[in-house]
Amino acid sequence: MGKWSFRRFLSNRQQQSFVISLGAFCASLLLVALVCVLGLIALRGSDYFWPRPVHNLTYTDAAGSAHKVYAQVGAGQVASQYSAATQHLWLIRYSNAAYPFGNQLILETPAIQNLAVAKEAADIVLKDGTRIFAQPISLDLPGKPAQSLAALEQARQQVNALQFDIDQIRTLHLAPIHRRLAELDIRAVADDAPARERLSREFSVWQNRVLELESQLAEFRLHIQFASGEGFSILLNDLDQLNYTGQLSPWGKAGVAANAIWTFLTDSPKQANTAGGVFPALFGTVLMIFIMTILVTPFGVMAAIYLTEYAPDNTMTAVIRICVSNMAGVPSIVYGVFGLGFFVYFVGGQIDELFFGDRLPAPTMGTPGVFWAALTMAILTLPVVIVATEEGLRRVPQRLKAGSYALGATKLETIWHTILPIASPGIMTGVILAIARAAGEVAPLMLVGAVKFAPNLPFDGEFPYLHLDRQFMHLGVLIYDGAFHSQTDMRSASMMFASCLLLLLVVFVLNILAVILRKRLRQRYLRGY
Amino acid sequence: MLKLFERERLNLEGLSPEQTAIEVRDLNLRLGQKHVLHNINMRIPKHRITALIGQSGCGKSSLIACFNRMNDLILNSQTSGEIIIEGRNINHKKENLSLLRSQVGMVFQRPNPFPMSIYDNVCYGLRLQGIKQRRQLDDAVERALHEAALWEEVKDRLFDSAMILSGGQQQRLVIARALALNPAILLLDEPTSALDPLTTLFIEELMGELKKRCTIVIVTHNMQQAARVSDYTAFLHQGELIEFSDSDTLFTMPDKKQTEDYITGRYG
Repeated sequence: MGKWSFRRFLSNRQQQSFVISLGAFCASLLLVALVCVLGLIALRGSDYFWPRPVHNLTYTDAAGSAHKVYAQVGAGQVASQYSAATQHLWLIRYSNAAYPFGNQLILETPAIQNLAVAKEAADIVLKDGTRIFAQPISLDLPGKPAQSLAALEQARQQVNALQFDIDQIRTLHLAPIHRRLAELDIRAVADDAPARERLSREFSVWQNRVLELESQLAEFRLHIQFASGEGFSILLNDLDQLNYTGQLSPWGKAGVAANAIWTFLTDSPKQANTAGGVFPALFGTVLMIFIMTILVTPFGVMAAIYLTEYAPDNTMTAVIRICVSNMAGVPSIVYGVFGLGFFVYFVGGQIDELFFGDRLPAPTMGTPGVFWAALTMAILTLPVVIVATEEGLRRVPQRLKAGSYALGATKLETIWHTILPIASPGIMTGVILAIARAAGEVAPLMLVGAVKFAPNLPFDGEFPYLHLDRQFMHLGVLIYDGAFHSQTDMRSASMMFASCLLLLLVVFVLNILAVILRKRLRQRYLRGY
Repeated sequence: MLKLFERERLNLEGLSPEQTAIEVRDLNLRLGQKHVLHNINMRIPKHRITALIGQSGCGKSSLIACFNRMNDLILNSQTSGEIIIEGRNINHKKENLSLLRSQVGMVFQRPNPFPMSIYDNVCYGLRLQGIKQRRQLDDAVERALHEAALWEEVKDRLFDSAMILSGGQQQRLVIARALALNPAILLLDEPTSALDPLTTLFIEELMGELKKRCTIVIVTHNMQQAARVSDYTAFLHQGELIEFSDSDTLFTMPDKKQTEDYITGRYG
């Protein structure tokens, strides 16, 4: 029994094909799992953008009384995990007079009395990201109450024009007056100085103009009605989108979806990251990866050059090599703790003491920020770059180095002019792997600079334009927070899937760029070798 | 009449310093534990082609590499003795290797053009010396390619990659790359062993032209080639210089038994 082996049953050739088949089977299993995960993310993610019809729902609550609401119904039935019998639960998001901006409800099938698409009801999105499901009834225009909805588009244009005027006055007139008043404060000009009074007068003139425009804006109102017949009204200025999703043709739905994708990519998050867009997170992710790449590449390449070209072939070098490889296996949260303790508190604290002493105790660099996050990520991905670059350096043919030395090049010149160009595809491989690793990392970032919501982008029009000390938003952190820590409804859950899809796309695009670059370098430097 | 076709013969023992390109005195080379060259003494005449022959592993490539200190690149290499080129001992530890290697060019067994354009390949050494003016580089490239008999073939595609050239063209490009630096001495380490017979002939003709402007030392396995192209031939055996005389004498009436055995093919 103990001597059993499949050699007895299989010929030599069969053994080989057996091993190959087993390998292929495992590889295809992995592939299937991967495709399933990607498929789930893609499906649930794109679901976020596709408009859902508003339904007319009648249900009975626990007390037995019936309610009539406009609602959106969840992606399907959710099987209960608590009872053995297949019990279907319905995820309902509805608006009524008590909860005009929406509320959630979980219903069992028997509680639903009537469910039908409501063609007359609209999915109304407000500028703060909240949604109302209701039937638009009429418009209030200045001096003309209860107009028909036909004038809606025109009224919205008027509202936008008014809002534009207000913004213009704020940026072109009010802000400069503020600045000049602040200058007077710095120069300690007396409170009753003529310059100050003149500015104050000017300020109140513009202020009154703004108030006047705002009161005009307030006269544009949209009246809506809930399924129960109760009315409600909103400022037309608050309205962002109004879609009769029940009436839309497939093309119309595609248009709404395209609009939603655009909003998702370019807008700021609203309602605590459960609505609106993810632009700051997308920007923060890409910026962090770029800074990390810029930091990690030179350090990694220089370390690899030292190890392959300069380091003596002894135990010490072997130990360094093993340490570098092992660094890749350190849990990423450890890097986060290291980054927080060393970079943020120690290095950042020292910088604050040296250069920003006048602002202490408020920290400037001694607080988590995008630069420290990028630096921590650079340390995290350093081993990957070192190992791949070493591989590339070792592939440079000895005779090319000899040729360079024979023409009078020093070691440094040989490395710069001959070895590095030929090793560049290997370096790019390292960078690709580093990007892939860094883009998906979340744990260390939460310690060193990524936050749930950052009021400002790390890049703006204010000198020095790139604010490396600012905290930033990151797609991975947004997903982690949104999916596990926030009160989620079905819509924000699918928004998290959409963010996940976006993160995958970002990694994909960055990798594709690096692969194209590597291919071009290969064609340039490795053709014929 | 016959004398016209005979090569002029210098007395190798009594070469004056002006006639000597490389003077080797008591050269010993150790690579790690291995004693590769034993007490080599020789004077290589200027503007002549000197061939080094001998079996594989006899140390001829190591000897040629001593002339521009390429052995320094090998770990644990130890050289003692003197090599005098242009009046100075290049074996001195303060020798400027960049300068030495620009004066003593070297071409290897397999063509090793850099993966850049033909133009950049020829300019490589000049740019290292800090020459940046376009006109100076253009002139040097054209001159070097002419000297390497490659100009006509590549003049329309100077900025194409050097990797698309054929093996023979690549080897001539490598020679042009060395010539661009105006070397006094050109070391050729089996330059034709990776090439076909026709290309080999072409390179041999080229050597005949080149000896007008620089001294050539060539390592070869091919005794016909040594007899064809060289003025002088040195035979090495197991790290020792057995015989060094003009090629006609060495190949027709060698002094030593070992030389005769080798050139008649009894061993090696």
